[in-house]
Amino acid sequence: MKLRNWAKTTVLAGAMTAIAGFAFAGGTLRYATVGEPPSLDQHVVTSDLATTIAHHIFEGLYTFDSTNSPVPLLASGEIVSEDGKTIVIALRDDVTFHNGQAMTSADVVASLNRWGKYGSRGGLLFGNVESVEASGPYEVTIRLSSPFGPWKNIMAFINGGPAIYPASVVEGAGKEPIAPENYIGTGPYKFEEWQANRHVELIRYDDYASPSGDADGYGGARVADFDTLEFIPVPDVGTRVAGLKAGDYDYAESIPGDLYADLEADSSVTTILNGGPIFGLVFMNSKDGPLKENFALRRAIQTAINKTPALQVAIGPKNLWRANGSFLPNGNVWYSESGTENFSKGDAAAARAMAKEAGYNGEPIKFMVSTNYPFHYDTAIVYTKQLAQAGFNIDLQVYDWATLIEKRAQPDQWDLFFTHHGFVPDPILISVMNDNYPGWWTTAEKAALKVRFTESSDPAERQAIWSEIQGLIYEQVPTMKTGDVYSYNIASPKLQGLGEATLIWPSFWNVSK
Amino acid sequence: MFVYTFNRLLALIPTLLAASILVFLFIHLIPGDPASILLGDTATPEEIAELTRAMGLDKPLWTQYFIWLSNVVQGDLGTSVFFREPVLAVIASGAETSILLACMTMMWIIVLGIPIGILAATRHGTWADQLASGGAMLFASVPTFWLGLYLILIFAVGLGWFPSSGFPSITDEGGVFNLRYLMLPSLTLAAPNAALIIRLVRASMLDVAREDHVRTARAKGLHPARVAIKHIFRNALIAVAAAFGFTFAALVSEAVVTETVFSLPGIGRLVVQSILRRDYPVIQGVILIIVIFYMLINLLVDLAYARLDPRVSLS
Amino acid sequence: MSAITSFLAIFRGRRLATFGLIWLLIVVVAAVAAPLLAPFDPLDFDPMVRLSEPGWPYIFGTDHFGRDSLSRALFGARMAVLIGLGSVLVALSTGGLIGMLSAYSTRLGHVLMRLVDVLMAFPALLLALVLMALLERSVLNTIIVIGVVYATTTARILFGLTLKLKNEVFVDAATCSGAGHASILFRHILPNLISPLLVQASFIFAFSQLQAAALDFLGLGLPPEVPSWGNMLSEERIYITRAPWLLIFPGALIILSVFSMNLIGDAMRDSLDPRFKDDIAGV
Repeated sequence: MKLRNWAKTTVLAGAMTAIAGFAFAGGTLRYATVGEPPSLDQHVVTSDLATTIAHHIFEGLYTFDSTNSPVPLLASGEIVSEDGKTIVIALRDDVTFHNGQAMTSADVVASLNRWGKYGSRGGLLFGNVESVEASGPYEVTIRLSSPFGPWKNIMAFINGGPAIYPASVVEGAGKEPIAPENYIGTGPYKFEEWQANRHVELIRYDDYASPSGDADGYGGARVADFDTLEFIPVPDVGTRVAGLKAGDYDYAESIPGDLYADLEADSSVTTILNGGPIFGLVFMNSKDGPLKENFALRRAIQTAINKTPALQVAIGPKNLWRANGSFLPNGNVWYSESGTENFSKGDAAAARAMAKEAGYNGEPIKFMVSTNYPFHYDTAIVYTKQLAQAGFNIDLQVYDWATLIEKRAQPDQWDLFFTHHGFVPDPILISVMNDNYPGWWTTAEKAALKVRFTESSDPAERQAIWSEIQGLIYEQVPTMKTGDVYSYNIASPKLQGLGEATLIWPSFWNVSK
Repeated sequence: MFVYTFNRLLALIPTLLAASILVFLFIHLIPGDPASILLGDTATPEEIAELTRAMGLDKPLWTQYFIWLSNVVQGDLGTSVFFREPVLAVIASGAETSILLACMTMMWIIVLGIPIGILAATRHGTWADQLASGGAMLFASVPTFWLGLYLILIFAVGLGWFPSSGFPSITDEGGVFNLRYLMLPSLTLAAPNAALIIRLVRASMLDVAREDHVRTARAKGLHPARVAIKHIFRNALIAVAAAFGFTFAALVSEAVVTETVFSLPGIGRLVVQSILRRDYPVIQGVILIIVIFYMLINLLVDLAYARLDPRVSLS
Repeated sequence: MSAITSFLAIFRGRRLATFGLIWLLIVVVAAVAAPLLAPFDPLDFDPMVRLSEPGWPYIFGTDHFGRDSLSRALFGARMAVLIGLGSVLVALSTGGLIGMLSAYSTRLGHVLMRLVDVLMAFPALLLALVLMALLERSVLNTIIVIGVVYATTTARILFGLTLKLKNEVFVDAATCSGAGHASILFRHILPNLISPLLVQASFIFAFSQLQAAALDFLGLGLPPEVPSWGNMLSEERIYITRAPWLLIFPGALIILSVFSMNLIGDAMRDSLDPRFKDDIAGV
């Protein structure tokens, strides 16, 4: 059976290329990924790679346009009550799931509730949610205990966000990611198969109902041009680059900065910058060890470090990084210079004096870093040297990512650890805002500001409060930002419709070959 | 021979049991746990503990081992933590790549190794012999990943003759033509092993030439060419048997590196990835199957030797 | 003195093996004198000179940290020798002891050789991988893991060789004259095994280099901050076209050293007692 199948396709494909030889819609997009995602379940998984694949399958009620503002996707609009406590969301009535069922308010309520209870970012919103109810076949009402400004931003952020699944799938689903056979969404592509280490394959969903309006960011019309999207794990970055140049892949992600100049000059390759920068973060332990509650010592560490050499070593070309202390980049509405004068002092003498004053006597400071991401490791090497020059006794512990994740959950195992953070459209989504995130930053000052920040729905007021929070981060130093990194991907010049830059994750609706 | 084979098979069982205990112990002692990897950055300790319990990973190690063992005896290798698929299915999808890669590698080894080895032996002491022996040893001295990187650069990126990486199944679009994806990896893997075979063929042929029964055959007036051909053939077969053993050992050993360089969805990379993901059931399952396979291949090679080489007896 | 002369006699008329010996001497000198020879600190970096082409003052160029490749290569020689000698030591001492004891005492042999069988059921690199994942990445652990992997083959070989010697006349003579077990093993049998052990050692040395490089490549070998040839290749492999010298130099060093050691081992094997020749596989 299978044998006959391939024979047929081979003959057919041969005949087609012989006769045709012209470009037409369809075909396969071959995308070289950095690896395999842990799961595509958007509620619980926050891996960027998972979202890159999954946002073709699953959709939320809202998404972002090119200015990172939330716009309706499965919703058609909403009415928020005067007191900001009741949100009535109208749903589009033309949407069907990949299993053929129509999407109704029952599916939305079930999905939101599971996400609220178990989702990675669900708690942010559901801390304030009293109830979610279907108030009509295509209408959902959310009641809040207090007004919550960033609700729409959180709902529009599909990564760890409220993707809409059929009610039958989410019923009984807990914290554990749902299984691949239940990957049923409403998106322009549907899940076909996942072959371990070989590929995740999506195929076009022919009954897709697109939102109306011109395409703008992730908003507006979505057209699936490819027959198949194939996401192929190619962990070795050299192989990703070689494979794209050789024509084996149409798109390859996460390419090292040092190759940028060569690839830019290469006519067989298109480079696509990511619009939102990622940034490294060095978390400090607020629960245990010498850094616990010793903000003065943390500030000493912060003062010792000059961020620029690390960015030069880890990233390379100047146009791919900014030594920027604001948590969101310049030009973004959340940009703030509050506290950033302390971002990158690199003053070893001052740091030494500050450390002494903070009562530091050369106790070892355990700094955990993973080799899975070369940029983490390179940066940590540079920081370790700078800290040593300022008299800190740094015990650099190099692990693989899995070990680091386990160790960082144990407060007695570490003092500093390195990770990175993807671009987020609302600062509430930054990991340090989460009290449970390793590092466990839970000071009274933070808590007070956080309440004010989430209760306000006035954009200007929220920006001002965020500025205060950022200032507090530079004062209490629960984490140190390492600077903005503009990662980039490469594509075959044959791809049409990719645009200049990627908004957050690459998307392949409205793209053709 | 029958009795011998049976005894050998019987002897595999305790070895296998010991090996499985060893693997189980090793794997579970590696720090890191699948639950926290699966749940990601924002999971709370309670959530991780809950999932750990749900996966049965909170039970004492011995209990876990016996549960696993009793399932294995019933043919159930468990479910992959990462893929949420039966371990057997995950392994089966990797096995296609690994077996095809091994077969192609073996083909290169035989096609390149045996003729060059015979050539070196028949031209013993000449420049051709020195070139073959020296070249073989040089190739055996090259790190496989280094060779692989340059093969990709030259033959995939530069010349565009072969695909650089990945391997679509031969049951998918492209059919058997997809085997071209294995061209560069199989050559990479063949290089050091072909060298082994060249040297093996050369040495055994030189030995045979000195041996008594050849001299006797000649003395009996048999035609020297017939003697040579017959023994060349027999030695070539011994070499093939050895190649078989070496290659299938390499299938998981050196192939780990080759599969990583060429991003092949094979068993070797599955092991490394599963270790990194702490996907215990997959690691245990794969290693169990590899070990069985490896021991069976060793047995087969021994049997083949016994059949082909009159000097070896199976007592 | 005569030992050295007879060792050197092996190389008479073997130009390639002689070349191998000379190259290895160079590596050893580099390893011993690395701090004196290295123009820069192998760990010190300077982002301003990163990815410099080979030239002056960076003869082998610099890597993406701006570290001097020549200095790293010299300290890498130190690692190569350390890993080689270390794994040989571990493999020969543990494997050799197990092999000899097992052959000498049948009862002990039954237990010990079953243990070896279990370990040999794992393909070499796989065993090393699992062990390295379990242990922390360190120089010592890398040596132990590679050593253990080759200890199994060494045990098998020594088992066979000791069995052959056990029944020879001189052993009987020693037993009759009242020599103890230890004395027979170490004063009578062991001296006869020195040359096959040396041959085996040379092959283990060669293979350990490739194994260590493979582990480094997979990120499960030496700690990344240790300058070794394998780490140099592994860390800089994305620069294969951007800065080709970063792959060519360390690659060539590994190939030359493994090749040299193989040539030496081969020459030594050819001059072995014919009784032992078949037992040592080598390349």
